[in-house]
Amino acid sequence: MSRLSPRSTWIALTLAGLLALGTGWYFGRHGEAGKGPDPAGGKTLLGVTLPDVDGKQQALGQWKGKVLIVNFWATWCVPCREEMPEFVKLQKEFGDRGVQFVGIAVDDPAKVRQFAAELGLNYPALVGGYGAIELSKSLGNGVGALPYTLILDRSGSISRTQLGPLKTSDLRDIIGQLLAKPG
Amino acid sequence: MMHLLRAWAWPWALAAIVPLAAAQQPKLLEPERAFAFSVQAVDENTVEARFAIANGYYLYREKLKFAVEPVALAATPVLPPGKMKHDEFFGDVETYRGALAIRLPLQGSPGGSVTVKAESQGCADAGVCYPPQLQKVTVALPPRGGRPGEPVYATPPRKSWFN
Repeated sequence: MSRLSPRSTWIALTLAGLLALGTGWYFGRHGEAGKGPDPAGGKTLLGVTLPDVDGKQQALGQWKGKVLIVNFWATWCVPCREEMPEFVKLQKEFGDRGVQFVGIAVDDPAKVRQFAAELGLNYPALVGGYGAIELSKSLGNGVGALPYTLILDRSGSISRTQLGPLKTSDLRDIIGQLLAKPG
Repeated sequence: MMHLLRAWAWPWALAAIVPLAAAQQPKLLEPERAFAFSVQAVDENTVEARFAIANGYYLYREKLKFAVEPVALAATPVLPPGKMKHDEFFGDVETYRGALAIRLPLQGSPGGSVTVKAESQGCADAGVCYPPQLQKVTVALPPRGGRPGEPVYATPPRKSWFN
C-alpha cells in the first residue's frame, strides 16, 4: 500500500468503503445471512423439551457440557435426508469424545420413526411438528427453511448456525475446534 | 499522511470483509416471495390461481392443493404436467418452475367475492426446503359478461430492486 500515492489510496479506500456499505445494506435489507449466532440462543435451545419418537419427553439440557449439534429436519426435505448419513457417521466417530447430535423433526412421529429405522439413526430424533419451524426461527432461521443446524460449544453457547446442508469438512473442522476448546 | 491513511484503512477494510464473509450462506427468499401467489377473477364463475416461482426455486406438483370459499369448486382443478425430477428418496416427482396458472371453476355463479386458499410446498436449488405454505387471496367476481378483475397478490410484490 505504501507504493500507492496517497491520492489513489484514498480513492481506493473510499470505493471499497462505498462497496462495503452497499453490500452491508443489501444483506441487511434482504436476508438473515448477515446475522451472527445469538449468544442467548444457546440458553433458549438448552431449555427446550420435546418428545422423542416414543413420546418420551427429552430435555435438550441433558446434553449440556457436550459439543451439541442440533439439526432441524423433516422427512419431506430431501437435502435434509441427504446430509443425515454423514451425521450418523460423525456421531459414531466422535460420540465417545463428547459430541452429541440431536435431530428435531418438523414432522410427525410415525414418519420420523420409519426414516430413523431405514437410516439406522444413532442419535436422538425429537419430534417438533410444524411448531419446530417457529422454534428454529427464534434461533436465527430467518426464512424458516430446512435443514437448519446449530452447533453449541461445551459451555452451551451457539458457535455456528447453518441454513442448508453442512459440508462434512466444515463440520469436522468445527467439531475439532470445539473439542479442543476448554469447556 | 501515510500514517493517517493506514489508521483509516482498518475500519474500511473490515467493513469490506465482514459482509462478504457473512454472505457465504445461501441467500434465500421468504417462502411467500419465492412462491408468490396471486389470483385473478376471470369471469363470473372462474378464477385463475397463479404462482410466480422465483428463479432457483421449485414447487412439488403433488403437494399443491386449492380450496375456495364460501362456494365450492365445480370440478377438481387440472394441474398442468410438471417437469420430472428424479429424487433419490421419492422416485420420479413432478415439479414446477417459473410461472404457473391454474383455472378454478366455481359452482354456479356465486357473485360477490371468493377466497382462494392455496397450499404449496417447495424447495430452493441452494439445498433447502420450505414447510408447506398456506396462502390466501380474496377477489371480487365480475358480473356475467363483465371484465376480468385485476390480479390480487397474497404478498404485495416488491416495487423495485431496492426494497
